[in-house]
Amino acid sequence: MKLGNLGTSRGKEIGWIVLFVGPGLLLALGIKFYPLFRGLYDSLFFFEGGWKPVYVGLDNFHRMFLDKTVQQTFFNALKVMLTIPVWVLFPLVLAFLIFQETAGWRVFRAVFFLPYVIAPIIVGQIFREILGLQGPLNAFLGLVGLKLMTTAWLANTFTAIWAMVAVVLWSFSGLGIITYLAGFATISDDIFDAAAIDGAGFLTKIFRIILPMTVPVIGYWTVLCTGGMLLWMFPFIHALTEGGPGHATMLPEYLVYITSFRFFERGYGTTIGVALFFVVLTFTFFQVRFMYEAGAPRQKQKGGAA
Amino acid sequence: MMKTNRIAIIVISIALIAIIGGTSFAADQKKVTIKVLNWAQGGQEYWDKTAEAFSRENPSIQVEYESVPFERYYEKEGTYLASRSGPDVMANNLGFELWERAGAYKDISKRLTPKIKRSLYDYTGCALAFDEKLGILGIAPSYQGNLMYYNRELFTNAGLDPNAPPADWDTFGKYAVKVKASGKAMLAMGTGHTIAYWFFPEIAKNFWKSSEDIQQFMRGQIPWSDPRMRKVLDFMAWMADQGWYQEGAATTTMLPDAGDVFIRGDTAMIYGIASDVFNWKTWGDAMGHQNIGVMKWPMIDPKAPFAGKFSGVGGFSVGIAAWTKNEEAAWKYVEWMASEENANLFLKLAGGQPNNKNFDKSIITNSPSFTKIQSIISNNMPHTGVMLSGRELDAISRGYEQIILKQITVDDWAKTMQDALNDSDLKKPTAAIWNH
Amino acid sequence: MTTSRVGSGARIQRKVGKGIVTLLLSLYGVVAIYPLLYMFLSSLKTRLGYAKNRFGLPAPLTLENFTNVLNRFDFLRLLSNSFITTVGGVLLCTIVSLFMAYALSKMSFKGSKYIFLLVVVTLMIPNQTIMYPLYQTIGELKLIGQYYGLILVYAAFGLPLGTYLIAAYLRGVPDDLLEASRIDGANPFQILMRVVLPVSMPAIVTVFIINAVWMWNDLLLPLLILTQQKRTTIMVAISLIRSQYDIHVPLISAGLVVGFVPVLVAFLIGQRQLIKGMTTGAIKM
Repeated sequence: MKLGNLGTSRGKEIGWIVLFVGPGLLLALGIKFYPLFRGLYDSLFFFEGGWKPVYVGLDNFHRMFLDKTVQQTFFNALKVMLTIPVWVLFPLVLAFLIFQETAGWRVFRAVFFLPYVIAPIIVGQIFREILGLQGPLNAFLGLVGLKLMTTAWLANTFTAIWAMVAVVLWSFSGLGIITYLAGFATISDDIFDAAAIDGAGFLTKIFRIILPMTVPVIGYWTVLCTGGMLLWMFPFIHALTEGGPGHATMLPEYLVYITSFRFFERGYGTTIGVALFFVVLTFTFFQVRFMYEAGAPRQKQKGGAA
Repeated sequence: MMKTNRIAIIVISIALIAIIGGTSFAADQKKVTIKVLNWAQGGQEYWDKTAEAFSRENPSIQVEYESVPFERYYEKEGTYLASRSGPDVMANNLGFELWERAGAYKDISKRLTPKIKRSLYDYTGCALAFDEKLGILGIAPSYQGNLMYYNRELFTNAGLDPNAPPADWDTFGKYAVKVKASGKAMLAMGTGHTIAYWFFPEIAKNFWKSSEDIQQFMRGQIPWSDPRMRKVLDFMAWMADQGWYQEGAATTTMLPDAGDVFIRGDTAMIYGIASDVFNWKTWGDAMGHQNIGVMKWPMIDPKAPFAGKFSGVGGFSVGIAAWTKNEEAAWKYVEWMASEENANLFLKLAGGQPNNKNFDKSIITNSPSFTKIQSIISNNMPHTGVMLSGRELDAISRGYEQIILKQITVDDWAKTMQDALNDSDLKKPTAAIWNH
Repeated sequence: MTTSRVGSGARIQRKVGKGIVTLLLSLYGVVAIYPLLYMFLSSLKTRLGYAKNRFGLPAPLTLENFTNVLNRFDFLRLLSNSFITTVGGVLLCTIVSLFMAYALSKMSFKGSKYIFLLVVVTLMIPNQTIMYPLYQTIGELKLIGQYYGLILVYAAFGLPLGTYLIAAYLRGVPDDLLEASRIDGANPFQILMRVVLPVSMPAIVTVFIINAVWMWNDLLLPLLILTQQKRTTIMVAISLIRSQYDIHVPLISAGLVVGFVPVLVAFLIGQRQLIKGMTTGAIKM
């Protein structure tokens, strides 16, 4: 669709575009992109005493590819990515349950959103206690006869990373639920009524009506989760395990932090960070393009559906 | 239309608030203001009082604190370092943490008079490689080191003499049997960086034959496969197998949980430090000062030259930032931090062990532990925990947690320690710090 | 929500079904609430009381942690600092995102696709990677120590997601509505205000919530930018309670409760509006 019909000169048109896009572009370029390029530049150096730059070319990258810890860390990231379906579906199911508007649904809606507004550092602290060997979770499991399942959730190499993901999921689900609910709200009740008249059952409604119509919402929630998993788990890792036991819950972002700030190896830390950036980019790029295009066809429908 | 106006009003008012807020910081023209970066160690109240007291004695200098939570301290300080700008005075833990950031500080060795040096328990801790000829980066207001505390009542209940705590590990083991029989665990354990700072040096000190050994270790010249180092790791792992720790010890990802275990009386002993936290004041306040006993760490071999010494080092240093424009004012502050008045304040408000020997002993009268500590610290040696590089620190702490959990063997652990050492830039022979 | 006209076709009818739903919701409700309850109970315990009994009720019950926390901090100032920076950041971010999203999705011009991709790519930049250069850049732009500095950086950080969410939403909005206004001779700004704004409320509200929450809770950026004690935000101040080794859990819990209460209040007051915003004006398909 072109703006040509405004009838005024092309210049004015450009003026509007610049006005609308300009500030945002400046902010993004200046405050995020420019440091990224500086960071890319930094990764070619070794910083003596933490500040004196010594050019080392691609040595940092070479070291990183051979670094077993880095390998394990990115492998952990891959493991975490595998849980994305849970991130997409779990809030969807809960949202759908709330959508049923059974007793007290408004209260549930509010309660479910609450975890999201709590600062990650608080969440981490609380769950560290709850997931402890003598914590309430294990006590509860013992009570319901699942004593065999009790373990030190955050210290067991097998369970630690999944326990951590569960905590982050606990925190983020609230946002997902609200997002899905907003999506459901766009589905006109008429469709449901028509379906009921046609004798559609509960499951049919879910799979034939709701799911297809909320695809765009599912889409952008998925993109959100993908980015979030790799980039927003930092405070949780910091509060829960600091990457332990060993490196079982170490994710790239945390490794960058430890390397750059605890070990004070600025050049090498930035290198790992650059690698992380490209990995995230690859993962989300295809998703974004897919969703971007999936959203576009809507435009072709004139007005709403019948 | 209404909406547009409303939005515009909101935006403009926010902008106004921000601008007013931003420009309201009026610089006081006559005074010099120095900015001090710290992590509020000992509590904000203590730091506020020191600023007050300091300004009273130096009316032309105003102190402004930037207190950062410790867990983010490295990030904040790191960014200042990278941009070579920021505060006039900064703090750091001693040892490699400080040396790795040597570029951030000015050398104050010429400013330290013999009088100052004599008054402190430790002034070389802030020197590069503990060698004052290489430059001194700051002064430590507090003195720190590793101790063990015990619950006198629990000792008595177990049939042990609370005035005769175990001086060596054999006796410790025998005591542990009795404590266990009385229904308690022997030693509260918590993993985390305390392993590197509070635990490792106390085992390692039994295996140094001379100060030469310690020098070599500091310079990264002793590999972790060397018998001296390997014995340390083996002993620490052996300790984990004795059943001395409380249940679920390895899942306490930080020591504070172990502190709670000690406070509620589930264990008879806990390892701790002299100053600031996890010390006589923490336990005394919670459990009654008369009930707390303190001792040096047990010895493996009483005949070893360093076995009975207290591993001591300055608790943290304050130094002058390399880029400061107020060097003289900053020095006055640093100098004051090492003074008696500050020592008294530190002791009174923060429960810290002052580095200045001439503090007012009459401030603390109700803690037999504190009194005993004063005699313990007079027989001291360099603290080898701070000689671990950043990477070694990380590896030894992570490793020990896994050792307790039986997830790795000592061989694995030694290997990760060696990898960490290999990657530590400062512990390479070519590092600038050793080649002045 | 259009609850009064709830179509019976959309909802489960039978009592058993409803019962199951309520049961499942309650289960998760407990999971959602318990940690908060735990934090709140911890804040009412003494240190010794907490050590003795972590998970039960406080005995003795004490308010000493709260008095301690409230005395430590210049509470009102901290709150206002957080408020200024969060509200400023959210407003600036949401507004700029809206403009940008509209331009990128509805005003077709050469390069709009590339700019959109650029925005999304920015979303993927890890914070820790750019920490050092970010600080240097912010310093060079003279943004350090000022409220507007933090507000600008907040806006820059929230922009990619905000733009993406609103743009993705706008994709689904038919152009007819906008066409009509254009034909009437409205300029892009007017179209934005009159037509796009009301219609994209759900997305705007989503962006608003996401930004508000992370900006209020953020520790890193205020740490880097607001260097003066009196300008710091409440969450940063609370995290100062935890020193290098010491975690006095009841005290920290009290601090956390104190930091959380404003958020809770805002949430309780605003949630009706938020939900309304997210669902009214939503285009029924």
